[in-house]
Amino acid sequence: MSTPEAPKDNPFCKSQESRKTQENAIRTLFIIATYVILLSAAFIFGDIIIKGTPVLASKGWSFIFKKPQTLNVIEVEKSDHIEVPVKNFDSIIESNAKHSDLFTNIKEVQHQTNVTTFDIAPGSVIGEGYLKNLEKQNKGFYLRFDKRDTQSPVAFTLESPKSITLRNPEFESLKASAPEIVPAEVEVAERNLSKFEVTIEEGEYPIGKSAHDALVPTKLVFQMRQTFADDEPDKINQVIIPSTQTITVEAAVYFAAFDEDERGTLPLSAEESIPNKILFHTFELPAGTHAVAPDALAILEKHGANSQHNTARGSIIFNNKKPLTLTVPSNEFEELRKANPGLQISNVSNQDIASTYISFSLSKDAELRFDIDDYEAITLGNKASGNFIPLSEKTHSYSGGGILGPIVGTALLVIICMVVALSTGIATSVFLNEYAAKGKFIATVRLAMLNLAGVPSIVFGLFGLGLFVILAPTLTSQPNVESKLIIPIAPIASDIGAREVEDKKIYVSEEKMGTDEVRNLAAAAGSTRFYDGWQYISFQGWGTCMLAGGFTLAIMVLPVIITSCEESLSAVPMGFREASLALGATKWQSIRTAVLPYAFPGILTASILGITRVAGETAPIMFTAAVAERSDLPWQGINATGLDAFVGFLQQSVQALPYHIYTVAGRIPQSEYTEPMQYGSVLVFMMIVMTFAAFSVWLRIRIRNKIKW
Amino acid sequence: MSTLTAVAPNVLQKGTNVDAELNSSNSTITMETTPNPTPANQTMIEIDDVSFSYDLGKTNTLRNISLDIPEKQVTAFIGPSGCGKSTLLRCINRMNDLVETSRVTNGEIRIMGQDINAKSVSAIELRKQVGMVFQKYNPFPKSIYDNVAYGLRIQGIKDKSTLDESVERALKGAALWDEVKDRLKDSALGLSGGQQQRLCIARATAVRPKVILMDEPCSALDPIATAKVEELITELRRDFTIVIVTHSMQQASRISNNTAFFYLGELIEYDDTNKIFSNPSIKQTEDYISGRFG
Repeated sequence: MSTPEAPKDNPFCKSQESRKTQENAIRTLFIIATYVILLSAAFIFGDIIIKGTPVLASKGWSFIFKKPQTLNVIEVEKSDHIEVPVKNFDSIIESNAKHSDLFTNIKEVQHQTNVTTFDIAPGSVIGEGYLKNLEKQNKGFYLRFDKRDTQSPVAFTLESPKSITLRNPEFESLKASAPEIVPAEVEVAERNLSKFEVTIEEGEYPIGKSAHDALVPTKLVFQMRQTFADDEPDKINQVIIPSTQTITVEAAVYFAAFDEDERGTLPLSAEESIPNKILFHTFELPAGTHAVAPDALAILEKHGANSQHNTARGSIIFNNKKPLTLTVPSNEFEELRKANPGLQISNVSNQDIASTYISFSLSKDAELRFDIDDYEAITLGNKASGNFIPLSEKTHSYSGGGILGPIVGTALLVIICMVVALSTGIATSVFLNEYAAKGKFIATVRLAMLNLAGVPSIVFGLFGLGLFVILAPTLTSQPNVESKLIIPIAPIASDIGAREVEDKKIYVSEEKMGTDEVRNLAAAAGSTRFYDGWQYISFQGWGTCMLAGGFTLAIMVLPVIITSCEESLSAVPMGFREASLALGATKWQSIRTAVLPYAFPGILTASILGITRVAGETAPIMFTAAVAERSDLPWQGINATGLDAFVGFLQQSVQALPYHIYTVAGRIPQSEYTEPMQYGSVLVFMMIVMTFAAFSVWLRIRIRNKIKW
Repeated sequence: MSTLTAVAPNVLQKGTNVDAELNSSNSTITMETTPNPTPANQTMIEIDDVSFSYDLGKTNTLRNISLDIPEKQVTAFIGPSGCGKSTLLRCINRMNDLVETSRVTNGEIRIMGQDINAKSVSAIELRKQVGMVFQKYNPFPKSIYDNVAYGLRIQGIKDKSTLDESVERALKGAALWDEVKDRLKDSALGLSGGQQQRLCIARATAVRPKVILMDEPCSALDPIATAKVEELITELRRDFTIVIVTHSMQQASRISNNTAFFYLGELIEYDDTNKIFSNPSIKQTEDYISGRFG
């Protein structure tokens, strides 16, 4: 059966060739636009994946679990029996996968390390430097001592003979306290140096840092309003002179603190120059170890005879109640015992601890890559044998090691940010959606909030710098000179532990009252604590730290969080609220039991999307939290306990992944050695962010399927 | 206006209430001509000359409504959409408080003799006594048990055996116990529409209110589910005073003792249901019931 022919004059059978061409052209344009975007995305991601994957493959997990390090590229002469600890050897092989065939004759070697374990009786006396060594060698040992021994001699060592010139009074007191080190033959010279007798009126004056530093050792009683900021030494502080005082100062102090030409600032009501003849005594201290009274060491220290292990403040007395068991390498034990005669040691036992080294040969000269700690280990391990022979050395910053610091930093920033953003965001959205009356004001507030989302992130960075880094209030006993406003809260008490007093630096230098005197006075008054100042709320900012960065990021992501929280809240059917209220629930009960639980999945999804956004931001943390280089993780090196430790931890600056990428890609000289770090970091970063994004999409789909009402 | 209020019948029992006496003096004719439709029951809710506005009194959505609702009976509000019957219902448990700009501009609503808009009255405590069932069944996405126990829990009852007992009684009262007793821990959203609405009724009765307000409870249900809910309502009237808003005149005639007809924010006629549906006093009522308008 054939179909009947359609009539020729049918209106929709007309040929429309020209229109067809136009349609096709437009369609092609759209297709091209789409594919250009796809292609460029494929090119960028492809490049990162192709170049980044081998980096991850060769470095393995160490890329994630190692801190960023300087890469040392060393040309090494071929040699036999190079020894290095096992863990460093593994890492060296990892870094030099290309040259792995050059490492031959690999075998394990056992080295015995002898350690000595001993007990220290309570009341023992030890030099401060030795105590610090002990604290380093024994994990968990930290002495909060409260007494120093200012009588027992302290030792100091001179590598070579040293010529020392002393003024008369110093020379006399040295001679009195340590006659054994002053030789019979002393050169004496006489010189004229003016002294000044000055009178300073009671009052409050501006003072610079150099004048302040000059006045600290004098007998002037003064109190500082605030501490000097480390980063801005030129900033003028205020000094309080509690009473009119007349003191005699030497020329150097006079010029630093009072002479206007030399930028001294304190006004004087009377001054008189006193001619002053001074005898200078010059003699030579022989090389070797000398034991002198702490007073004598104080004088010698001023003239360059530094002691590594002892200070002029005296030795430290162990205040523990029970004997302490400690361990040191045996070769250091004898020195420790000899240098600290006041150390009462018992139960000494020696033990051998085996450590495994790898010995290998390098079959020909090669350019090898070393992370800095591997390089140090291999240099140290072959110092005696001389088997490791570097010929030339090049260093590339940040190109060795891994990205542990940046990953940890970014994670911490994200955690702080989300804690802040979610608590404020949920509160705000609950208020806007449930409590606030619909009106012009609330509409304006909401509009303002939404507009925040459009603010460039660098502006948030500057805002965070202004608000959190240099203005936010903080609780402190020593307000900084940068502080904008200081509100006293309460006097603060301290334990009379000397270490704590020393750490706190007392700024009321009453007749040179040292920490010992403060402590003794408090102890004499029968108290175990003493008041050493006031606690203030000081608007001096938090400094460049995680807390500032986290808050800045939180404010940046708040509009997004609030908007999506509000959406989740308004998606909860009105019926739930009505049903709950009709059963006699209060407003908050109804929100808590019948609204928030059902809005929670939406809020969760939004916050995960927020995390991916926050993790990727560079600009807001550039000024507020991130540093390019930091060798330790933020929780390392905090010398505090309890709340102070936590606060101290939050006030650490961190490395962050996006900022690290910016540094390695744009701030350091580029070379083939820096490239792996760039591609590796970007790939890891991309994987982390994409995992989170995918997780949030998955969660959203899952929740949509699960919850229906 | 005055004519309308004059014909609105008073359902008071003589001599039980001072206000009733005062009212009756204004409308002596109705008192004499209309028989009291509920001679055996006390008045539960007195609505006395109430005007209500959603916009701070600019326009009144309800105008001078007066009617008394007897205890342990079913009272139906009928009328075309927008006539204010739901608004009046939501005035009774102050659900209109949720709308910021709403005000009762005139008159008083008294429940058991107490003016519910008085300063000393807490809307939260009021709602514990005056429960509500909504047009669209709205169980929480929780288990059946948790839904029924919700009202008790927010009142601070934690004791497991008390909760168990109340839940069982409420579900039995809502004729739902046999259907769900084996799956109390299952999600309430797995129930059919009719079951969900009966669950909502159980949830409202679990806290033992005096009054249950129902805002078109069957409008989202099919005829069979509707029949079950209606059966349930007739059962419930033994224990509760029920006020029901409905669009279905058949429903009103089937289940209610008294019926009030509203039109454009005013109460046109209020009387015994049989009287309204067989022999209404006002032409407008007759027109509406016979389907000539609305």
